[in-house]
This record gives sequence, C-alpha cells and structure tokens, in this order.
Amino acid sequence: MMTSLKMRDLARCLIAYEAVASKTSEPVESAILRVYGKLRQSLGVFAGVASFQSLAFRAFTQAKSEAPGLWAVQVDANGSLQGLGEPKPEQLEFEPQLGSGKDQASEGGVILIARLLGLLDMFLGEALTFSLLRNAWPGATFDDRVAENGRKS
Amino acid sequence: MNTQDKVTINKLSTGVPGLDEIVGGGLPEFSFNIIAGAPGSGKTTLAHQFVFANASPERPALYFTVLGESAIKMLRYQQQYTFFDPAKLPDSIRFINLSQVVLEKDLGAVLEEITKEVEKANPAVVVVDSFRTMVRKPGSDMELQSFIQRLALFLASWQATTFLIGEYAEDELRDNPIFTVADGLFWLRQTTERNSIVRKLQVIKLRGQDSVPGLHTFRITDAGVQAFSRTFGLTARKRNPPGGRRLCFGIPDLDKMLDGGVPEGDSILVAGSSGTGKSVLATQFVAEGISKGEPAIIAVFEERPEAYALRATNLGLDLETPQKDGKLTILYLRPLDLSVDETMQSILDAVTKIGAKRLVIDSLAGFEMALSPGFRADFRESLYRMIFALTGIGVTILSTVEVDESFTEFPFSTYSISFLCDDIIRMRYVSIDGQLRKIMVVIKMRGGNHAKEIREYEITSKGVVILGRALTNFQGLITGIPVHLDRSDLKEEPAQKPGIESKS
Repeated sequence: MMTSLKMRDLARCLIAYEAVASKTSEPVESAILRVYGKLRQSLGVFAGVASFQSLAFRAFTQAKSEAPGLWAVQVDANGSLQGLGEPKPEQLEFEPQLGSGKDQASEGGVILIARLLGLLDMFLGEALTFSLLRNAWPGATFDDRVAENGRKS
Repeated sequence: MNTQDKVTINKLSTGVPGLDEIVGGGLPEFSFNIIAGAPGSGKTTLAHQFVFANASPERPALYFTVLGESAIKMLRYQQQYTFFDPAKLPDSIRFINLSQVVLEKDLGAVLEEITKEVEKANPAVVVVDSFRTMVRKPGSDMELQSFIQRLALFLASWQATTFLIGEYAEDELRDNPIFTVADGLFWLRQTTERNSIVRKLQVIKLRGQDSVPGLHTFRITDAGVQAFSRTFGLTARKRNPPGGRRLCFGIPDLDKMLDGGVPEGDSILVAGSSGTGKSVLATQFVAEGISKGEPAIIAVFEERPEAYALRATNLGLDLETPQKDGKLTILYLRPLDLSVDETMQSILDAVTKIGAKRLVIDSLAGFEMALSPGFRADFRESLYRMIFALTGIGVTILSTVEVDESFTEFPFSTYSISFLCDDIIRMRYVSIDGQLRKIMVVIKMRGGNHAKEIREYEITSKGVVILGRALTNFQGLITGIPVHLDRSDLKEEPAQKPGIESKS
C-alpha cells in the first residue's frame, strides 16, 4: 500500500514549515528530523514513549518498502530516529556529490513522516490528528495545509 | 451558624444523563473521587463524560494515563461516543501519559510529574486512569495510600475536581484505607443474569450531600453512560398532586359505574383474559382524554405502534392525528434486557415531553417479558416504585393485565399487585344460554363509591359498549358458569340488540 497523496502533502507541508522556521539554509534532513522530533515529543506526552516508538517503528517498516533512501535509518527504543541521510557506501564511492542519494533520503523522510501521520489518521481520525498537530505546531494552520507551507497568513 | 454563613459547595454536572439526580444534584466541586469496578464496567467512559462536560480552555482537564490501555486506543474508541468533541483537544482536555515515569521511577516521581503539570495548566478536572496499575507489587499498599493522601491534599488545594480510576473486585471494598481518603466513591458493576448483562452503579460514599442510595441501573450506549435512578429522577421534581377531578372513559355506562370516572392520579388495573377487550378499553380511555385536551402515552410491549393505531382506527378511534399533533406518544418497548428503570425513563421522558396526563401500560405481562430476567424477580417492587413515582406527578395510569380464565376462581392479577392499584376493573367471559358472553365489574375504587353491579358488554365497531341493565338475575356470574334464577324477564326485557363484534 502506497502512502496517500494527502499524507505526503501534509508531511511536505510540515517539513516546509520547519525549513522556513529555521531561517537558515540547512539540509532537508534537518527539517525532517525536526518534524519527527516534534511529533515524537507531542505524541510521547500524549501516549507515552512506548506507544510512540511502536507507531514510529510501524511507520518506518511501511516506509522502507517504498523508499530506498531509508536503508540506514533506525528507530531507537526511545523512539528517536538515527541514520537519516546517511549515504550508501557505494554512493560514497561512485557519487561523491551525493546528489541522487540526498534526494532519495529526503524523499524517504517525507514518506516516513507521511506514514506516521497516516497511522495517526487511521487510529485517531482526522480531527484528533490535527489537534495533535496544532499542539505541536501552534503557529501553523492546517485548514489549507497543502498551500502556503502551512503558515498562518 | 446561619445557613448563609456556611460555605456553598458548587455542584458540577457529571455529564452522565441521570447521574446528577443520583448524586444529589451534581458532583461537589473540588471533590476527590474514586471510580472503582472491574475491567469493562464503564469507568473510563464515565470519567470522559465528566471531563467533556466540565473542561474549558480557561480551566482545562488533565487526563493522566498510566499503564494499561494505550492512550491512542482509548481515544480511538472513546471518540465513537457522541459526547466526545475532538475540538476540545488539546486546549480544554489534555492527555498526558505517565507510563515511563511509573516504569522507571517511583510514586514520588509520579506525584512530582502530576504536580508539575497541574501547576502549569491550573486544571478544573484531573483524572488518573488507572491509578491502581501504578502499584501492583506485594506490600505496596502503604506506598499507594501515602501517594493518594498526598495527591488528594495537593489537588484539593489547587481547586481541582479529581477522579482516580481503579480496577477493584467486589471483595476489595471492605476495610480499604484508600477509600477513606476519597470524598466520593463510585462503584460500577457488571453482572450476567441468565442471558443478559446488567450494569449497576452505586454511590457508596459522597461527602457533603444526599445521594440516592442503592444500586442504580446504567447502560452504555453510543451516547456513553446513562444512569437510571431508582427513584426515576423524581425526587428533585416538584410533585404535582392530583386535583380531585374524575377522568372518564367516554363510555357513559362505565363512567356511571365509576361514579363519574376514575379519580385523577389513580392507578387503574384492567384485568381480563385474552380477547375480553382490555386494550380496547385502554384505547378508549386514552382517546377520551385526548378529546378533553389531556395528552397521553401508550406503552406497548406486544405489538408495534402502527398496528396498535390501526386497530384503534377500526374502532373509530383516531390515534394517528394526536400523534402528529404531539398529543399522543405510543412507546414501543420491546428489547428483552430492559430494566424497569430504563423503561420508566423512556416513559418519563415522553410524559415530560408532551405533558401527558394519562398513561396506558399495555400490558404488564408484556412489560415483564421485556425486562432482563434479573429484573423480573423484582417486578412487583419495581411496579410499586414506578406507580408511586408517576401518580405522584399527577399522571393517571391504566395498566392492563391478562389473567388466566378460571371457572372456579376470579383472579385480578397474576402478579399480586392489586394492592398497588387504586381501582380495578375486571372483565371476563361467562357462559349464558349457550353463548360465550362478556361481563364487566368494578371491583375496587379506593377514591370513593362505585357501582357493585355486574354488566354485560360487547366489543363493537364503536369499542366497548355496555349492554342493557345489570345482570341481576343470575347467580354465580363471576364463576363464568352462572345459574339463571328466573327466566321470566326474558320476555319483558329482550336483550339489547347486540352490536357486531369486531376483532380486537
């Protein structure tokens, strides 16, 4: 089962929001990790670390099958994410610029976040999922979430 | 001390229909409560209803989950209830999971975590679900007791109304020091009685106010917990004593037999065997009331409202129009695991809604069958409570009851409930001149005089019609096989032209 387009859009929206919020040029992976970290924080308070870790691991397992860029990623026991954006050894050898590897990793990150949001949507429904997101991103608006990078005008 | 010098304790709505009445008008603000019961008894749902009814962005609710049910799964299921408003999360209701603290640290750390969150949020409501899972190891009772003592002190100071939810078995109720700390102790039970599940709630303790004692039935529907007070919610309702009027049936000869009708607020029992016209008489009683501007309720158990109304139409009685006009409600109460309290609640809601003055219960046998087996044993006592409650607010009740026709006895009811009824009308078959005919007699009228005569009647296209004069020329009419004393009157007074019997 592929990630739904709606969840990918929402994931991209959150990542873009974080990228804009940092006000510095940084790799996309950093914004992805910050989105993941905020979800982890918010869900951890609400449902507990173990619950978050279970969901994150499930999302990761689903995402891995459609995102080769996640090959080095691991979800730790405390739910934290390791290895996002790490290049494959053969890419280091043959593609020193890391262009396509980077793209794959960031796309993998988007899919992972989308999968996590998809699980929340499935378990809690849209209303509660957006309640959680509003809690984690109090400045963002999700009514028109695929546009304007989710920022309040 | 003057009444005005005493502190006023605000009462908070529980958010559970029927429970406010049971707890004496609402839950005391800032009280420290324990909801106890076995798994699946509805503890979490009850707490959620309270939280959703009382939390606001200014004074939110903090819902601490500990070990046990995952918060995600809990919310997945709880949001199915109609009271669950997702818009209240997270501003008004915040869920905080403490399982990590419980697993890695001690109860002191848990208290510290709760304290920190409470100081931050200034909540009106705090729930810990389930506090008992925090300490399951042997010898930890003292630790838990101390934790609860400190938690209660802290939360009371912070002006929070608190619920601790705990799994307790029935035998743990006695001598449990934890319960002494609580201001309120609610015990939820779920028992299997033959093939039915019966849920009951007991307010074992509630400081500072008068709760309704005893076990109250409750049900969990898609609207959440709904409680049914043993007093049917009528303790707080203004009693409306009957005004001394007589209510007619619209059958002139019967009304005469009743000295002008039944006294308002009476409970009338119409007893007879199958086909004697009890339902017809009941329908005429209702139709007459409606024609006089008295709304009515008919609670039917044995046939559907449409069929009931159609049968009335065949008797020339229109039950469709008053239903459309809001003057009549026909309640169909058929589920086989009802409690009397639930049935009563349905009837009361209908009475309140249309301001009903007359109520027909057709029939008591059907009513009994609709009850859960466990409640059938208490049927008589339940009827007593129900009749007392309804007549107390001025409703006149007519109940029909089927009795086995015997040619040696003249029973009024199979339930030994005649003492509950102010008036009894008995209908029965008799064998006269090779015909199975029908007779009617007023057995009892608590409120005054009534005719002692036995009258013959028929069920015609106009309903119950009383024929001719009293049957005075027979002996042993009530046995069903009378002896004709003197046949000379046959020529003097030919039998009144009988109407065409209609199927009832």
